[in-house]
Amino acid sequence: MAIVPTVGIETIPAWLSWLFPMIGAFLTPLLAKINPRLRDYGAVLFSFLAASMTIMLIPLLFSVEELPKWEVLPWIELEGFPVLSKIEFGVLVDPLSIIMANVVAVISFLIMVYSLGYMKGESGLTRYWFFMNFFIGNMLLLVMSENLVQTLFGWEGVGLCSYALIGFWYRDAKEDYLKTWVGEPPEAYPPSHCGMKAFITTRIGDISLLIGIVIIVAFTGTLSYMELIEKVEHLPHEFMWILVPAAILLFGGPIGKSAQLPLMEWLPDAMAGPATVSALIHAATMVKAGVYLVGRLFPIMYVASKFYPEMGSFFYVVAWIGVITAFVAGTQAITSNEIKKVLAYSTVSQLGYMMLALGVAGTTFEFFIGYTAGVFHLMSHAIFKAALFLTAGAVIHAVESRFLHHMGGIRKEMPITFWSMTLTAFSLMGVPILFSGFWSKDLILESTLLAGQPIMFALAAITAAITAFYSVRMLSLTFLGKKSKHIHELEHEGHHVHEAPKVMWIPYSILAVATVLFGIGAITLLPLGGFGGWLEHTFESYLSRLLGMEHSSTLLAAELATEGALPQELAVIITIGTSLTVLAIGAFIAYKLYIRRSPDPAKLVGSKGVLKSLWNFLFRRWYVNAFFYKVFVYPTISFSNWALKHIEIGGIDKFNYVLANAVRGFSNRFRRTHTGLLNYNVIGMIAGIILLLILVYMVLV
Amino acid sequence: MIIEDNSFILFQSIIVPAAFSVLALVLGNRLKEKTGWLSSVILLYSTILIGYIQLRLFLEPSLEAIEASYSWLPKIGSLSLGSFTLRADGLSTPIALIISILCTLISIYSVKYMEHEHALGQYFALYLLYASGMIGTVLVTNLAAFFLFFELMLIPSWALIGVWGTGLREKIAFKYFMFTEAGALSLLAGIVATGFIANTFEIFEVSQGMVGIELGVQIAIVVAMLLGLFVKMAIFPLHTWLPDAHAEAPTPISALLSPAMIGIGGYAAIRIVYTGFPAVVKASTPQFMLILSVLALVTMTYGGYMALAQDDIKRLLAFSSISQMGYMLFGIASVSTIGLVGAVLLYVSHGLGKAVLFMVSGVLIHEFKTRSIKELGGLAAKMPYTAIATLIGFLGLMGFPYIIGFWAELYIFTGSMYTALQGFSHLLEPNSIRVLITSLAIVASVLTASYGLWTVRRVFYGQPTEKTMHANEGPMIMIVPIMILAALALILGIYPGLMASSASTYISELLGSIG
Repeated sequence: MAIVPTVGIETIPAWLSWLFPMIGAFLTPLLAKINPRLRDYGAVLFSFLAASMTIMLIPLLFSVEELPKWEVLPWIELEGFPVLSKIEFGVLVDPLSIIMANVVAVISFLIMVYSLGYMKGESGLTRYWFFMNFFIGNMLLLVMSENLVQTLFGWEGVGLCSYALIGFWYRDAKEDYLKTWVGEPPEAYPPSHCGMKAFITTRIGDISLLIGIVIIVAFTGTLSYMELIEKVEHLPHEFMWILVPAAILLFGGPIGKSAQLPLMEWLPDAMAGPATVSALIHAATMVKAGVYLVGRLFPIMYVASKFYPEMGSFFYVVAWIGVITAFVAGTQAITSNEIKKVLAYSTVSQLGYMMLALGVAGTTFEFFIGYTAGVFHLMSHAIFKAALFLTAGAVIHAVESRFLHHMGGIRKEMPITFWSMTLTAFSLMGVPILFSGFWSKDLILESTLLAGQPIMFALAAITAAITAFYSVRMLSLTFLGKKSKHIHELEHEGHHVHEAPKVMWIPYSILAVATVLFGIGAITLLPLGGFGGWLEHTFESYLSRLLGMEHSSTLLAAELATEGALPQELAVIITIGTSLTVLAIGAFIAYKLYIRRSPDPAKLVGSKGVLKSLWNFLFRRWYVNAFFYKVFVYPTISFSNWALKHIEIGGIDKFNYVLANAVRGFSNRFRRTHTGLLNYNVIGMIAGIILLLILVYMVLV
Repeated sequence: MIIEDNSFILFQSIIVPAAFSVLALVLGNRLKEKTGWLSSVILLYSTILIGYIQLRLFLEPSLEAIEASYSWLPKIGSLSLGSFTLRADGLSTPIALIISILCTLISIYSVKYMEHEHALGQYFALYLLYASGMIGTVLVTNLAAFFLFFELMLIPSWALIGVWGTGLREKIAFKYFMFTEAGALSLLAGIVATGFIANTFEIFEVSQGMVGIELGVQIAIVVAMLLGLFVKMAIFPLHTWLPDAHAEAPTPISALLSPAMIGIGGYAAIRIVYTGFPAVVKASTPQFMLILSVLALVTMTYGGYMALAQDDIKRLLAFSSISQMGYMLFGIASVSTIGLVGAVLLYVSHGLGKAVLFMVSGVLIHEFKTRSIKELGGLAAKMPYTAIATLIGFLGLMGFPYIIGFWAELYIFTGSMYTALQGFSHLLEPNSIRVLITSLAIVASVLTASYGLWTVRRVFYGQPTEKTMHANEGPMIMIVPIMILAALALILGIYPGLMASSASTYISELLGSIG
């Protein structure tokens, strides 16, 4: 069916949602000139306005048959271009963008409030508020955008903010090692290094994305998402195969942005930024942009795969990269000694889950199950992971260190923080019934079974056990057990650990309550199958209408029935059984090791042996990080130094001087014949005349 | 529609700076560095004139060009030099506008930067001549006159480097002169051959004159001319004069050499080759594209690697310019409207961004008397405006959206990919190899991001060094011109149509006529 741009009053909030924070960002320096407090509260106000705009879009979700609302303004029109002659600027309001925008804007607002407490007394706050609001604006621009060029604006914009905010403490002061650096030797990095690393690594992904975009636009002539859905149906069949590499190249962008293998190494190191930045950018929103883009491109690729079955390989690439990343990053979280880094590995791992869901969705006919699972998990992860980072920030603030072994035994001192972290960690682990993380992760596991992918299912289930393990480990090391030496020292100096101020704990307790509310709302026994069921229904009716699959569904169902898939009821039962088992196993082992302390984990690993090497392997991030430095970073720099010395100076430029010297040498020798003596000159003249005469004679005869 | 320039707008924009250079010379010894204000006013006049034309081209899509023609020398034997023709169209106007804007602002910047130098009358006189030479080269469409202006921009800049430069300035100015002069001679050979064979020096008449001439001869002429222009653009391996000249020139002149002057080589390649020799372009399109794109790819990669290895900030920027010229050549080699518009936008983007960066390096030299990055550090809080400008400059070079460089690179690569995919039939033929080369070129842009961000980090982040401990923001008279240029790069980044729409109209017609 043809979908054309509409004009209507309903899209106004979509425009304003990203315009408000952008305006807020550029007002920040001006407000700072008037009064610092005005600047702080002004910044929060603009993020509040953004959130209220996105909330105004929610009612549209209940009239899904009227979506998408798609509105465009002319932007760049260039005469004579065979492709790309017209780039429009617009908003695309559909279930995906409404949900994502609300996740982004509401959580952003809560984190901005928290920032008022967390960042109090820091210098450079104008810069902080500018980039926070600029980030929110760009993120919402990305979410609302109608075509890939506009998406790139938001995409790179959030990347810039991420770079600037990771490096917020750009002075790299050694005194702040415990607070602002990340990692431990030999992989300890100062903030400015991490910011640059993040930017360049994601840039590598973006390059792949850009190549994909250039191919797509050269091939199809459009970059508008809605137009692409229609265009791919009418492409010449003999060139359809170009879409496969193009789609995989496009996926390179999400790999970088969402920190999937092999470009995941920047995200753990991005923890050098303030906890608010980690919560907002590196947990709740920006890293989801990759998942979001895959979701955005999903209908296009899915339609293409109907006409050209080889497109399915794109979805397999997405799913496999997702599930492998989920597993690898999960294992790395086991050994990390830093609270935020555990959470960062966990984020990478959970993003892998989302990619897995979207990937397997594309390989089945019931694509809406996996699709819903991915989006649902995106939502629940945004909520609980933002809260986890905010609580982690509160703890770091209290104990003045990022290391887990500098914490411990502060449950009584920080009860609200403790309970908030516990609830949200339970959601991360997937504790049943009450927590949204349980329902969303279950739906992902179920969708892998429905897609007939037992290996992916197994890997995802093992990862779930690992998740339970590191969550319990982190919780107990942070709050339970005895107080660490570091805390005793602090107390000795008169710093007593105490609960975070209200402006900080209210935001994260709201998020902790939200994760439970979503969990209760998602109980499948509720009418419509709970929140998840409602979401699935929404996406099913929206996407099948968009893809023009309403009427032919039964026919296609028979044709496309996935090989090796289980009946849905059976899949549900297996999933619930498995997820409860792995949760119990992971949590139990962690309980024995870190709460009962029998056996003591340090003694268990020992100082050598298999366990120690395994520990090292995980602690050094499977040596992937070291590999990248050894193979790409250092050789690039040493190659450029070598080339400067041997090619530029020793080769090309030397050749120039050799040439110049040769000329000079020749003229120096030749000059000796110019003695100025009359005799010589006369002889030369006579010789010349004779030569000339001979020439004339030869020419004439 | 082409209108006759009855009010001498084009002529004035060139001749006014040249004529007033005498005034600068006379008043210079009394006014000292304040001559810079005088010359900036003079150049502002040119800027307004050219800006007016660009505005008209933007607002009146039917307006194709503004032309002026003045009868010139009588015939020499059978060959007439033609008339002195000037033309401002969608291709030349954006370039001339950027040149005049840069000259105006950098003149103000010179006031502070050059304040303790000697012989400022001569400096600003040469500066004005140099500006006039650059604007003239771009606006003139008679090849003989083009060559004269081409030399007019060489000689003053040679003197400016040799007299007010640093380091081994005389030697380096000589090297610069020899290289560009050798290139200019190659260009001259092409021009003279064109004149005799086509019996005209008018670029717009050359294609008619070349009808019926053997293709091999035409190709030889094009190669001779391109060689000359490539020396100017510093295409690998003809680039070695550039790092020396740009590093040792007085910084305001570096900020003109690199952003404004070298790109003129690329402009001239479009103007002369595409307009004058459509037969060559048409007959040898795949090979033409392939050879030039490989050259461009090598240049952009090589420049990027060299920039990574530099400690001298001006030398780093110089190598970065070489790399950027690779991008421009890549667009020129695409033989597509999109790619050529991209090349024009790249000139604009590089002009603004690199000028910002060279001027920033001048601020650093002014404040700390060093060009070594090692001796700098931790400046972000002490010099916030400089830091912001530097970031914008480098982001522009790496093709970051919101800045004009993004559009330049998007168009260049899309254009190249489009022509490659259009002719695509099977693997291992020129077009499919070009798909690969285009992809590699996009990959090469990681280098730009790397050296850019690394430089920002080394100069502005971390702990202050001994030199930068007590740093303050540079003088406002230097910062404000920088900020204006950075703001322009942002405005054009959000709305590139201001420069691109007239360029695309012109270039699509140009390519349409080639067929």
